[in-house]
Amino acid sequence: MEVNPTGELVPVASQPSILGSPLRCLNDIVSHRFLVFALVQRTLRSRYRLAGLGYLWLVLEPLLLAATYWFLFVMLAGNPDEMYPVWVLVGVIVWSTFGKSLSGAVSSLTSNTQMIHMAYFPRSIFPVSITTGNIITSLVSSLVLVPIVFVFDTPVTVHLLWIPVGIVLAGVMGGLFGMIFAPLNCGQRDVEHLFRFIVRAGFFFSPVMWTAEMALQRGTWGEYALLNPIVMPITMVRHAIAGESVDLPLLSITSSLLFLSLCALLGSIVFMKSEREAVKFL
Amino acid sequence: MTEPIIRLENVSLSFPQPTSPLGFLKRIFTRSEREGFLALDDVSFDVNRGEVLGIIGRNGSGKSTVLRAMTGIFPTDNGRVLSSGKQTLLSGLGTGFASHQTGRENALIFGSTLGRTKAEMDGKMGEIIDFSELGDFFDKPLRTYSAGMKARLGLAVVSVMTPEILLIDEVLGVGDPKFREKSKQRILEMVEDAGTVVMVSHSFGLMKSLCHRIIHLHRGQVVFDGDPEKAIQSYYDMED
Repeated sequence: MEVNPTGELVPVASQPSILGSPLRCLNDIVSHRFLVFALVQRTLRSRYRLAGLGYLWLVLEPLLLAATYWFLFVMLAGNPDEMYPVWVLVGVIVWSTFGKSLSGAVSSLTSNTQMIHMAYFPRSIFPVSITTGNIITSLVSSLVLVPIVFVFDTPVTVHLLWIPVGIVLAGVMGGLFGMIFAPLNCGQRDVEHLFRFIVRAGFFFSPVMWTAEMALQRGTWGEYALLNPIVMPITMVRHAIAGESVDLPLLSITSSLLFLSLCALLGSIVFMKSEREAVKFL
Repeated sequence: MTEPIIRLENVSLSFPQPTSPLGFLKRIFTRSEREGFLALDDVSFDVNRGEVLGIIGRNGSGKSTVLRAMTGIFPTDNGRVLSSGKQTLLSGLGTGFASHQTGRENALIFGSTLGRTKAEMDGKMGEIIDFSELGDFFDKPLRTYSAGMKARLGLAVVSVMTPEILLIDEVLGVGDPKFREKSKQRILEMVEDAGTVVMVSHSFGLMKSLCHRIIHLHRGQVVFDGDPEKAIQSYYDMED
Protein backbone atom coordinates (compact mmCIF):
# COMPACT_ATOMS: atom_id res chain seq x y z
CA MET A 1 0.00 0.00 0.00
CA GLU A 2 1.31 3.43 -0.86
CA VAL A 3 2.53 5.68 1.90
CA ASN A 4 0.50 8.84 1.85
CA PRO A 5 1.89 11.54 4.10
CA THR A 6 -0.32 14.35 2.86
CA GLY A 7 -3.50 12.78 4.21
CA GLU A 8 -5.10 13.01 0.80
CA LEU A 9 -7.69 10.41 -0.16
CA VAL A 10 -6.34 8.03 -2.79
CA PRO A 11 -7.92 4.92 -4.34
CA VAL A 12 -7.35 1.73 -2.38
CA ALA A 13 -5.26 -1.03 -4.02
CA SER A 14 -5.13 0.67 -7.41
CA GLN A 15 -4.41 -1.43 -10.47
CA PRO A 16 -1.36 -0.86 -12.64
CA SER A 17 -1.64 -0.20 -16.36
CA ILE A 18 -0.82 -2.99 -18.81
CA LEU A 19 2.66 -1.68 -19.48
CA GLY A 20 3.27 -0.88 -15.83
CA SER A 21 2.37 -4.40 -14.71
CA PRO A 22 5.75 -6.14 -15.02
CA LEU A 23 7.52 -3.36 -13.15
CA ARG A 24 4.83 -3.17 -10.47
CA CYS A 25 4.99 -6.93 -10.07
CA LEU A 26 8.74 -6.81 -9.50
CA ASN A 27 8.38 -3.88 -7.14
CA ASP A 28 5.73 -5.71 -5.10
CA ILE A 29 7.97 -8.72 -4.68
CA VAL A 30 10.92 -6.65 -3.50
CA SER A 31 8.83 -4.66 -1.04
CA HIS A 32 7.20 -7.84 0.33
CA ARG A 33 10.33 -9.98 0.41
CA PHE A 34 9.87 -10.69 4.11
CA LEU A 35 6.51 -12.24 3.41
CA VAL A 36 8.10 -14.36 0.66
CA PHE A 37 10.77 -15.56 3.10
CA ALA A 38 8.17 -16.32 5.76
CA LEU A 39 6.01 -18.30 3.33
CA VAL A 40 8.96 -20.26 1.94
CA GLN A 41 10.04 -21.09 5.47
CA ARG A 42 6.51 -22.18 6.33
CA THR A 43 6.28 -24.52 3.34
CA LEU A 44 9.67 -26.11 3.94
CA ARG A 45 9.12 -26.52 7.67
CA SER A 46 5.71 -28.06 7.28
CA ARG A 47 7.00 -30.51 4.70
CA TYR A 48 9.79 -31.89 6.88
CA ARG A 49 8.45 -31.08 10.34
CA LEU A 50 7.32 -34.58 11.24
CA ALA A 51 10.12 -36.42 9.42
CA GLY A 52 12.82 -37.85 11.66
CA LEU A 53 15.46 -37.28 9.02
CA GLY A 54 14.07 -33.82 8.28
CA TYR A 55 15.90 -31.81 5.65
CA LEU A 56 18.24 -34.75 5.04
CA TRP A 57 15.53 -36.06 2.69
CA LEU A 58 16.43 -33.27 0.30
CA VAL A 59 19.68 -35.05 -0.60
CA LEU A 60 18.69 -38.56 0.41
CA GLU A 61 15.92 -38.77 -2.17
CA PRO A 62 18.05 -37.87 -5.21
CA LEU A 63 20.83 -40.09 -3.92
CA LEU A 64 18.48 -43.08 -3.71
CA LEU A 65 17.10 -42.16 -7.14
CA ALA A 66 20.63 -42.15 -8.56
CA ALA A 67 21.26 -45.60 -7.13
CA THR A 68 17.96 -46.82 -8.58
CA TYR A 69 18.74 -45.44 -12.03
CA TRP A 70 22.21 -46.93 -11.98
CA PHE A 71 20.80 -50.34 -11.08
CA LEU A 72 18.06 -50.02 -13.69
CA PHE A 73 19.95 -48.62 -16.65
CA VAL A 74 23.49 -49.92 -16.17
CA MET A 75 23.03 -53.22 -14.34
CA LEU A 76 19.70 -54.41 -15.71
CA ALA A 77 19.46 -52.80 -19.12
CA GLY A 78 23.19 -52.92 -19.73
CA ASN A 79 23.52 -49.40 -21.02
CA PRO A 80 27.24 -48.97 -21.83
CA ASP A 81 27.15 -45.25 -20.94
CA GLU A 82 28.03 -45.14 -17.25
CA MET A 83 27.02 -41.49 -17.09
CA TYR A 84 23.48 -42.14 -18.33
CA PRO A 85 21.99 -42.57 -14.83
CA VAL A 86 23.54 -39.21 -13.89
CA TRP A 87 21.97 -37.54 -16.92
CA VAL A 88 18.60 -38.97 -15.97
CA LEU A 89 19.02 -37.76 -12.39
CA VAL A 90 19.85 -34.26 -13.64
CA GLY A 91 16.82 -34.41 -15.91
CA VAL A 92 14.57 -35.39 -13.03
CA ILE A 93 15.86 -32.65 -10.71
CA VAL A 94 15.60 -29.87 -13.28
CA TRP A 95 12.29 -31.06 -14.71
CA SER A 96 10.71 -31.34 -11.28
CA THR A 97 11.84 -27.79 -10.45
CA PHE A 98 9.98 -26.66 -13.56
CA GLY A 99 6.98 -28.94 -13.11
CA LYS A 100 6.41 -28.28 -9.41
CA SER A 101 6.78 -24.52 -9.91
CA LEU A 102 4.36 -24.63 -12.82
CA SER A 103 1.61 -26.61 -11.12
CA GLY A 104 2.26 -24.80 -7.84
CA ALA A 105 1.91 -21.40 -9.47
CA VAL A 106 -1.26 -22.44 -11.32
CA SER A 107 -2.98 -23.37 -8.06
CA SER A 108 -1.27 -20.67 -5.98
CA LEU A 109 -4.42 -18.55 -5.61
CA THR A 110 -6.88 -21.38 -5.04
CA SER A 111 -4.71 -23.02 -2.39
CA ASN A 112 -4.32 -19.80 -0.40
CA THR A 113 -7.95 -18.69 -0.21
CA GLN A 114 -7.79 -18.13 3.54
CA MET A 115 -4.79 -15.86 3.43
CA ILE A 116 -6.25 -13.94 0.52
CA HIS A 117 -9.35 -13.20 2.59
CA MET A 118 -7.24 -12.14 5.56
CA ALA A 119 -5.42 -9.09 4.27
CA TYR A 120 -4.69 -7.27 1.06
CA PHE A 121 -1.17 -7.67 -0.19
CA PRO A 122 0.12 -8.32 -3.69
CA ARG A 123 -0.99 -11.85 -4.59
CA SER A 124 2.02 -12.30 -6.85
CA ILE A 125 3.71 -13.23 -3.56
CA PHE A 126 2.07 -16.68 -3.74
CA PRO A 127 3.47 -17.99 -7.05
CA VAL A 128 6.78 -16.31 -6.25
CA SER A 129 7.17 -17.97 -2.87
CA ILE A 130 6.13 -21.35 -4.25
CA THR A 131 8.70 -21.05 -7.02
CA THR A 132 11.38 -19.83 -4.63
CA GLY A 133 10.73 -22.80 -2.35
CA ASN A 134 11.08 -25.24 -5.24
CA ILE A 135 14.28 -23.62 -6.45
CA ILE A 136 15.80 -23.79 -2.97
CA THR A 137 14.94 -27.48 -2.49
CA SER A 138 16.31 -28.33 -5.94
CA LEU A 139 19.51 -26.41 -5.30
CA VAL A 140 20.03 -28.38 -2.09
CA SER A 141 19.18 -31.63 -3.89
CA SER A 142 21.68 -30.82 -6.61
CA LEU A 143 24.42 -31.06 -3.99
CA VAL A 144 24.36 -34.83 -4.56
CA LEU A 145 25.86 -34.11 -7.95
CA VAL A 146 29.08 -33.05 -6.22
CA PRO A 147 30.11 -36.54 -4.96
CA ILE A 148 28.95 -37.95 -8.30
CA VAL A 149 31.34 -35.64 -10.10
CA PHE A 150 34.14 -37.13 -7.98
CA VAL A 151 33.04 -40.73 -8.45
CA PHE A 152 33.10 -40.38 -12.22
CA ASP A 153 36.24 -38.32 -12.09
CA THR A 154 34.82 -35.61 -14.35
CA PRO A 155 36.84 -32.39 -14.46
CA VAL A 156 36.07 -29.81 -11.78
CA THR A 157 35.77 -26.57 -13.71
CA VAL A 158 34.25 -23.16 -13.31
CA HIS A 159 31.44 -24.41 -15.58
CA LEU A 160 29.95 -26.18 -12.55
CA LEU A 161 28.47 -22.77 -11.74
CA TRP A 162 26.00 -23.37 -14.58
CA ILE A 163 24.27 -25.96 -12.37
CA PRO A 164 22.47 -23.40 -10.16
CA VAL A 165 21.83 -21.20 -13.21
CA GLY A 166 20.01 -24.04 -14.98
CA ILE A 167 17.93 -24.88 -11.92
CA VAL A 168 16.91 -21.28 -11.26
CA LEU A 169 16.06 -20.85 -14.94
CA ALA A 170 13.81 -23.92 -14.92
CA GLY A 171 12.02 -22.80 -11.74
CA VAL A 172 11.48 -19.24 -12.89
CA MET A 173 10.21 -20.47 -16.25
CA GLY A 174 7.69 -22.76 -14.57
CA GLY A 175 6.53 -20.14 -12.08
CA LEU A 176 6.03 -17.41 -14.68
CA PHE A 177 4.28 -19.79 -17.07
CA GLY A 178 1.95 -20.82 -14.25
CA MET A 179 1.17 -17.20 -13.33
CA ILE A 180 -0.56 -16.76 -16.68
CA PHE A 181 -3.13 -19.39 -15.71
CA ALA A 182 -3.44 -18.91 -11.94
CA PRO A 183 -6.33 -16.40 -12.16
CA LEU A 184 -8.16 -18.57 -14.69
CA ASN A 185 -7.91 -21.49 -12.27
CA CYS A 186 -9.97 -19.54 -9.70
CA GLY A 187 -13.06 -19.82 -11.87
CA GLN A 188 -12.23 -23.02 -13.72
CA ARG A 189 -10.51 -25.69 -11.68
CA ASP A 190 -10.10 -27.73 -14.87
CA VAL A 191 -7.01 -25.63 -15.40
CA GLU A 192 -5.10 -27.21 -12.55
CA HIS A 193 -6.07 -30.72 -13.64
CA LEU A 194 -4.98 -29.92 -17.17
CA PHE A 195 -1.63 -28.67 -15.97
CA ARG A 196 -1.08 -31.72 -13.81
CA PHE A 197 -1.45 -33.74 -16.98
CA ILE A 198 0.84 -31.38 -18.91
CA VAL A 199 3.56 -31.81 -16.29
CA ARG A 200 3.25 -35.61 -16.43
CA ALA A 201 3.22 -35.83 -20.21
CA GLY A 202 5.88 -33.15 -20.56
CA PHE A 203 8.24 -35.41 -18.64
CA PHE A 204 8.52 -37.61 -21.74
CA PHE A 205 8.55 -34.80 -24.28
CA SER A 206 11.42 -33.18 -22.43
CA PRO A 207 15.01 -34.39 -22.24
CA VAL A 208 14.61 -36.16 -18.90
CA MET A 209 15.08 -39.74 -20.07
CA TRP A 210 16.92 -38.62 -23.19
CA THR A 211 19.58 -36.04 -23.91
CA ALA A 212 19.98 -33.28 -26.48
CA GLU A 213 22.80 -35.29 -28.09
CA MET A 214 20.51 -38.30 -28.57
CA ALA A 215 17.90 -36.06 -30.16
CA LEU A 216 20.40 -34.56 -32.59
CA GLN A 217 21.22 -38.07 -33.91
CA ARG A 218 17.55 -38.52 -34.79
CA GLY A 219 17.48 -36.02 -37.65
CA THR A 220 14.62 -33.62 -38.27
CA TRP A 221 12.31 -34.87 -35.51
CA GLY A 222 15.12 -34.59 -33.02
CA GLU A 223 15.71 -31.02 -34.06
CA TYR A 224 12.05 -30.23 -33.49
CA ALA A 225 12.29 -31.80 -30.05
CA LEU A 226 15.09 -29.39 -29.19
CA LEU A 227 12.71 -26.44 -29.63
CA ASN A 228 11.23 -27.40 -26.26
CA PRO A 229 12.20 -24.48 -23.99
CA ILE A 230 13.17 -26.75 -21.11
CA VAL A 231 15.96 -28.34 -23.20
CA MET A 232 18.34 -25.50 -22.42
CA PRO A 233 18.19 -25.56 -18.58
CA ILE A 234 18.49 -29.35 -18.43
CA THR A 235 21.32 -29.49 -20.95
CA MET A 236 23.03 -26.60 -19.20
CA VAL A 237 23.28 -28.60 -15.98
CA ARG A 238 24.41 -31.74 -17.81
CA HIS A 239 27.12 -29.93 -19.71
CA ALA A 240 28.24 -28.23 -16.50
CA ILE A 241 28.88 -31.64 -14.96
CA ALA A 242 30.76 -32.69 -18.09
CA GLY A 243 32.89 -29.58 -17.62
CA GLU A 244 31.54 -27.55 -20.51
CA SER A 245 29.39 -24.51 -21.00
CA VAL A 246 26.02 -25.17 -22.61
CA ASP A 247 26.44 -26.32 -26.18
CA LEU A 248 23.18 -26.39 -28.13
CA PRO A 249 21.85 -25.35 -31.54
CA LEU A 250 21.16 -21.61 -31.58
CA LEU A 251 17.50 -22.25 -32.33
CA SER A 252 17.12 -24.23 -29.13
CA ILE A 253 18.66 -21.49 -26.98
CA THR A 254 16.57 -18.83 -28.71
CA SER A 255 13.39 -20.79 -28.14
CA SER A 256 14.17 -21.10 -24.45
CA LEU A 257 14.97 -17.42 -23.96
CA LEU A 258 11.96 -16.40 -26.03
CA PHE A 259 9.66 -18.59 -23.95
CA LEU A 260 11.10 -17.14 -20.75
CA SER A 261 10.61 -13.52 -21.83
CA LEU A 262 7.13 -14.23 -23.15
CA CYS A 263 6.12 -15.86 -19.86
CA ALA A 264 7.62 -13.00 -17.87
CA LEU A 265 5.65 -10.46 -19.87
CA LEU A 266 2.37 -12.36 -20.16
CA GLY A 267 2.60 -13.83 -16.67
CA SER A 268 3.00 -10.51 -14.93
CA ILE A 269 0.45 -8.67 -17.08
CA VAL A 270 -2.29 -11.31 -17.02
CA PHE A 271 -1.78 -12.01 -13.34
CA MET A 272 -1.72 -8.37 -12.24
CA LYS A 273 -4.70 -7.43 -14.39
CA SER A 274 -6.97 -10.28 -13.46
CA GLU A 275 -6.14 -11.61 -9.99
CA ARG A 276 -8.29 -9.07 -8.14
CA GLU A 277 -11.48 -9.95 -9.98
CA ALA A 278 -10.53 -13.63 -10.02
CA VAL A 279 -10.26 -13.98 -6.24
CA LYS A 280 -13.96 -13.14 -5.98
CA PHE A 281 -14.54 -16.67 -7.26
CA LEU A 282 -12.75 -18.15 -4.27
CA MET B 1 -13.07 17.10 13.69
CA THR B 2 -14.60 15.33 10.75
CA GLU B 3 -11.69 14.64 8.48
CA PRO B 4 -12.55 11.63 6.31
CA ILE B 5 -9.92 8.89 6.32
CA ILE B 6 -11.87 6.36 4.24
CA ARG B 7 -14.51 7.24 1.70
CA LEU B 8 -16.82 4.90 -0.16
CA GLU B 9 -18.35 6.47 -3.26
CA ASN B 10 -21.35 4.62 -4.74
CA VAL B 11 -19.69 1.29 -4.21
CA SER B 12 -21.32 -1.74 -5.80
CA LEU B 13 -19.74 -5.14 -5.57
CA SER B 14 -21.04 -8.46 -6.84
CA PHE B 15 -19.83 -12.01 -6.42
CA PRO B 16 -19.85 -14.02 -9.62
CA GLN B 17 -21.67 -17.28 -10.19
CA PRO B 18 -19.74 -20.15 -11.71
CA THR B 19 -19.72 -19.51 -15.42
CA SER B 20 -18.35 -20.80 -18.70
CA PRO B 21 -14.64 -20.28 -19.43
CA LEU B 22 -15.55 -17.55 -21.90
CA GLY B 23 -17.82 -15.79 -19.43
CA PHE B 24 -15.05 -16.01 -16.87
CA LEU B 25 -12.51 -14.38 -19.13
CA LYS B 26 -15.00 -11.69 -20.08
CA ARG B 27 -15.67 -10.97 -16.45
CA ILE B 28 -12.08 -10.66 -15.28
CA PHE B 29 -10.82 -8.68 -18.22
CA THR B 30 -13.67 -6.34 -19.05
CA ARG B 31 -15.77 -4.05 -16.96
CA SER B 32 -18.91 -5.07 -18.78
CA GLU B 33 -22.28 -5.75 -17.17
CA ARG B 34 -21.76 -7.92 -14.12
CA GLU B 35 -24.19 -10.54 -13.04
CA GLY B 36 -24.21 -12.68 -9.93
CA PHE B 37 -24.92 -12.00 -6.30
CA LEU B 38 -24.95 -8.27 -5.55
CA ALA B 39 -23.30 -8.02 -2.11
CA LEU B 40 -23.02 -4.23 -2.00
CA ASP B 41 -25.49 -2.00 -3.78
CA ASP B 42 -24.56 1.65 -4.20
CA VAL B 43 -23.00 2.14 -0.77
CA SER B 44 -21.60 5.55 0.14
CA PHE B 45 -20.24 6.77 3.45
CA ASP B 46 -17.20 8.35 5.07
CA VAL B 47 -15.19 7.05 7.98
CA ASN B 48 -13.73 9.95 9.91
CA ARG B 49 -10.37 10.04 11.58
CA GLY B 50 -10.48 9.11 15.24
CA GLU B 51 -13.95 7.62 15.27
CA VAL B 52 -15.26 4.18 16.10
CA LEU B 53 -17.73 3.21 13.44
CA GLY B 54 -19.92 0.17 13.88
CA ILE B 55 -21.60 -1.78 11.09
CA ILE B 56 -24.59 -3.98 11.88
CA GLY B 57 -26.94 -6.01 9.78
CA ARG B 58 -28.35 -9.49 9.34
CA ASN B 59 -26.26 -12.38 8.07
CA GLY B 60 -25.43 -11.81 4.42
CA SER B 61 -26.20 -8.10 4.51
CA GLY B 62 -22.71 -7.24 3.26
CA LYS B 63 -20.93 -6.33 6.50
CA SER B 64 -17.79 -8.39 5.96
CA THR B 65 -17.76 -7.51 2.27
CA VAL B 66 -17.71 -3.81 3.12
CA LEU B 67 -14.64 -4.31 5.28
CA ARG B 68 -12.93 -6.35 2.57
CA ALA B 69 -13.75 -3.71 -0.03
CA MET B 70 -12.21 -1.11 2.29
CA THR B 71 -8.92 -3.01 2.49
CA GLY B 72 -8.83 -3.75 -1.23
CA ILE B 73 -9.23 -7.51 -0.89
CA PHE B 74 -12.22 -7.38 -3.26
CA PRO B 75 -12.34 -4.85 -6.08
CA THR B 76 -15.53 -2.89 -6.62
CA ASP B 77 -17.70 -3.26 -9.72
CA ASN B 78 -18.76 0.36 -9.64
CA GLY B 79 -17.77 3.31 -7.53
CA ARG B 80 -14.53 3.66 -5.66
CA VAL B 81 -12.96 3.26 -2.26
CA LEU B 82 -10.60 6.04 -1.23
CA SER B 83 -8.35 6.06 1.78
CA SER B 84 -5.67 8.27 3.23
CA GLY B 85 -4.28 5.75 5.69
CA LYS B 86 -3.24 2.16 6.08
CA GLN B 87 -5.98 -0.33 6.87
CA THR B 88 -5.44 -3.42 8.96
CA LEU B 89 -8.15 -6.05 8.89
CA LEU B 90 -8.69 -8.48 11.73
CA SER B 91 -11.20 -10.99 10.49
CA GLY B 92 -12.95 -14.06 11.77
CA LEU B 93 -11.50 -16.62 14.10
CA GLY B 94 -7.94 -16.92 12.97
CA THR B 95 -8.77 -16.78 9.26
CA GLY B 96 -5.62 -17.46 7.33
CA PHE B 97 -3.74 -18.95 10.24
CA ALA B 98 -2.06 -22.29 9.59
CA SER B 99 -3.08 -24.92 12.11
CA HIS B 100 0.19 -26.86 12.05
CA GLN B 101 2.21 -23.76 12.84
CA THR B 102 2.86 -22.27 16.24
CA GLY B 103 1.38 -19.01 17.47
CA ARG B 104 4.76 -17.37 16.99
CA GLU B 105 5.08 -18.48 13.36
CA ASN B 106 1.53 -17.42 12.58
CA ALA B 107 2.13 -14.05 14.21
CA LEU B 108 5.18 -13.58 12.01
CA ILE B 109 3.28 -14.42 8.80
CA PHE B 110 0.33 -12.24 9.80
CA GLY B 111 2.72 -9.36 10.51
CA SER B 112 4.45 -9.90 7.16
CA THR B 113 1.16 -9.73 5.28
CA LEU B 114 0.68 -6.33 6.87
CA GLY B 115 4.04 -5.24 5.54
CA ARG B 116 6.18 -5.69 8.64
CA THR B 117 9.73 -7.04 8.51
CA LYS B 118 10.92 -10.05 10.46
CA ALA B 119 13.12 -7.85 12.67
CA GLU B 120 10.16 -5.61 13.50
CA MET B 121 8.02 -8.61 14.36
CA ASP B 122 10.74 -10.25 16.46
CA GLY B 123 10.98 -7.04 18.44
CA LYS B 124 7.25 -7.11 19.12
CA MET B 125 6.93 -10.77 20.09
CA GLY B 126 7.29 -10.08 23.82
CA GLU B 127 4.43 -7.62 23.70
CA ILE B 128 2.30 -10.05 21.70
CA ILE B 129 2.85 -12.83 24.25
CA ASP B 130 1.96 -10.45 27.07
CA PHE B 131 -1.17 -9.10 25.46
CA SER B 132 -2.47 -12.46 24.23
CA GLU B 133 -1.85 -14.12 27.64
CA LEU B 134 -1.17 -17.33 25.74
CA GLY B 135 1.90 -18.24 27.79
CA ASP B 136 3.37 -21.60 26.81
CA PHE B 137 0.74 -22.05 24.12
CA PHE B 138 2.45 -19.35 22.05
CA ASP B 139 5.00 -21.90 20.88
CA LYS B 140 2.49 -24.71 20.35
CA PRO B 141 0.75 -25.50 17.06
CA LEU B 142 -2.47 -23.61 16.45
CA ARG B 143 -4.52 -26.79 16.26
CA THR B 144 -4.16 -27.04 20.05
CA TYR B 145 -5.81 -23.62 20.47
CA SER B 146 -9.40 -22.94 21.43
CA ALA B 147 -11.45 -20.48 19.39
CA GLY B 148 -10.96 -17.81 22.03
CA MET B 149 -7.20 -18.32 22.02
CA LYS B 150 -7.01 -17.85 18.25
CA ALA B 151 -8.97 -14.63 18.53
CA ARG B 152 -6.63 -13.48 21.28
CA LEU B 153 -3.59 -14.17 19.12
CA GLY B 154 -5.01 -12.20 16.19
CA LEU B 155 -6.03 -9.28 18.34
CA ALA B 156 -2.67 -9.27 20.12
CA VAL B 157 -0.81 -9.05 16.81
CA VAL B 158 -2.83 -6.15 15.41
CA SER B 159 -2.93 -4.35 18.72
CA VAL B 160 0.85 -4.15 19.15
CA MET B 161 1.16 -2.79 15.63
CA THR B 162 -0.91 0.29 16.49
CA PRO B 163 -2.64 0.34 13.11
CA GLU B 164 -3.81 3.64 11.71
CA ILE B 165 -7.15 2.23 10.68
CA LEU B 166 -8.30 -1.01 12.29
CA LEU B 167 -11.12 -3.01 10.74
CA ILE B 168 -12.48 -5.68 13.06
CA ASP B 169 -14.77 -8.39 11.76
CA GLU B 170 -16.67 -10.19 14.49
CA VAL B 171 -13.72 -10.98 16.72
CA LEU B 172 -14.49 -9.20 19.97
CA GLY B 173 -17.46 -11.40 20.78
CA VAL B 174 -15.27 -14.35 21.63
CA GLY B 175 -12.82 -14.77 24.44
CA ASP B 176 -13.61 -14.70 28.13
CA PRO B 177 -15.09 -11.57 29.75
CA LYS B 178 -11.74 -10.49 31.14
CA PHE B 179 -10.06 -10.55 27.74
CA ARG B 180 -13.06 -8.88 26.17
CA GLU B 181 -12.73 -6.01 28.63
CA LYS B 182 -9.01 -5.77 27.89
CA SER B 183 -9.64 -5.65 24.14
CA LYS B 184 -12.23 -2.95 24.65
CA GLN B 185 -9.73 -0.90 26.65
CA ARG B 186 -7.12 -1.38 23.94
CA ILE B 187 -9.50 -0.14 21.26
CA LEU B 188 -10.33 2.93 23.31
CA GLU B 189 -6.61 3.61 23.75
CA MET B 190 -6.06 3.27 20.04
CA VAL B 191 -8.83 5.73 19.28
CA GLU B 192 -7.32 8.19 21.76
CA ASP B 193 -4.08 8.01 19.78
CA ALA B 194 -6.05 9.24 16.76
CA GLY B 195 -6.51 5.71 15.48
CA THR B 196 -9.69 4.87 13.61
CA VAL B 197 -11.73 1.72 14.14
CA VAL B 198 -14.47 0.16 12.02
CA MET B 199 -16.09 -2.83 13.63
CA VAL B 200 -18.61 -5.43 12.60
CA SER B 201 -20.32 -7.30 15.39
CA HIS B 202 -23.55 -8.79 16.58
CA SER B 203 -22.92 -7.92 20.22
CA PHE B 204 -24.95 -4.73 20.39
CA GLY B 205 -24.04 -4.05 24.02
CA LEU B 206 -20.38 -3.82 23.12
CA MET B 207 -21.18 -1.78 20.02
CA LYS B 208 -23.23 0.72 22.02
CA SER B 209 -20.44 1.23 24.52
CA LEU B 210 -17.72 1.67 21.88
CA CYS B 211 -19.15 3.18 18.72
CA HIS B 212 -19.66 6.83 17.99
CA ARG B 213 -21.73 6.00 14.97
CA ILE B 214 -23.36 2.89 13.56
CA ILE B 215 -24.35 2.01 10.02
CA HIS B 216 -27.16 -0.44 9.46
CA LEU B 217 -26.77 -2.47 6.29
CA HIS B 218 -29.59 -4.42 4.74
CA ARG B 219 -29.25 -6.43 1.54
CA GLY B 220 -26.13 -4.52 0.62
CA GLN B 221 -27.65 -1.08 1.12
CA VAL B 222 -27.19 1.50 3.84
CA VAL B 223 -30.58 1.90 5.54
CA PHE B 224 -29.39 3.92 8.50
CA ASP B 225 -26.23 5.88 9.29
CA GLY B 226 -25.86 7.78 12.55
CA ASP B 227 -26.65 7.57 16.24
CA PRO B 228 -25.89 4.07 17.67
CA GLU B 229 -29.17 3.77 19.61
CA LYS B 230 -31.23 4.68 16.55
CA ALA B 231 -29.22 2.35 14.31
CA ILE B 232 -29.94 -0.58 16.60
CA GLN B 233 -33.60 0.48 16.71
CA SER B 234 -33.57 0.49 12.90
CA TYR B 235 -32.16 -3.04 12.96
CA TYR B 236 -34.94 -4.32 15.22
CA ASP B 237 -37.62 -2.50 13.22
CA MET B 238 -36.40 -4.31 10.13
CA GLU B 239 -36.63 -7.66 11.95
CA ASP B 240 -40.37 -7.32 12.42
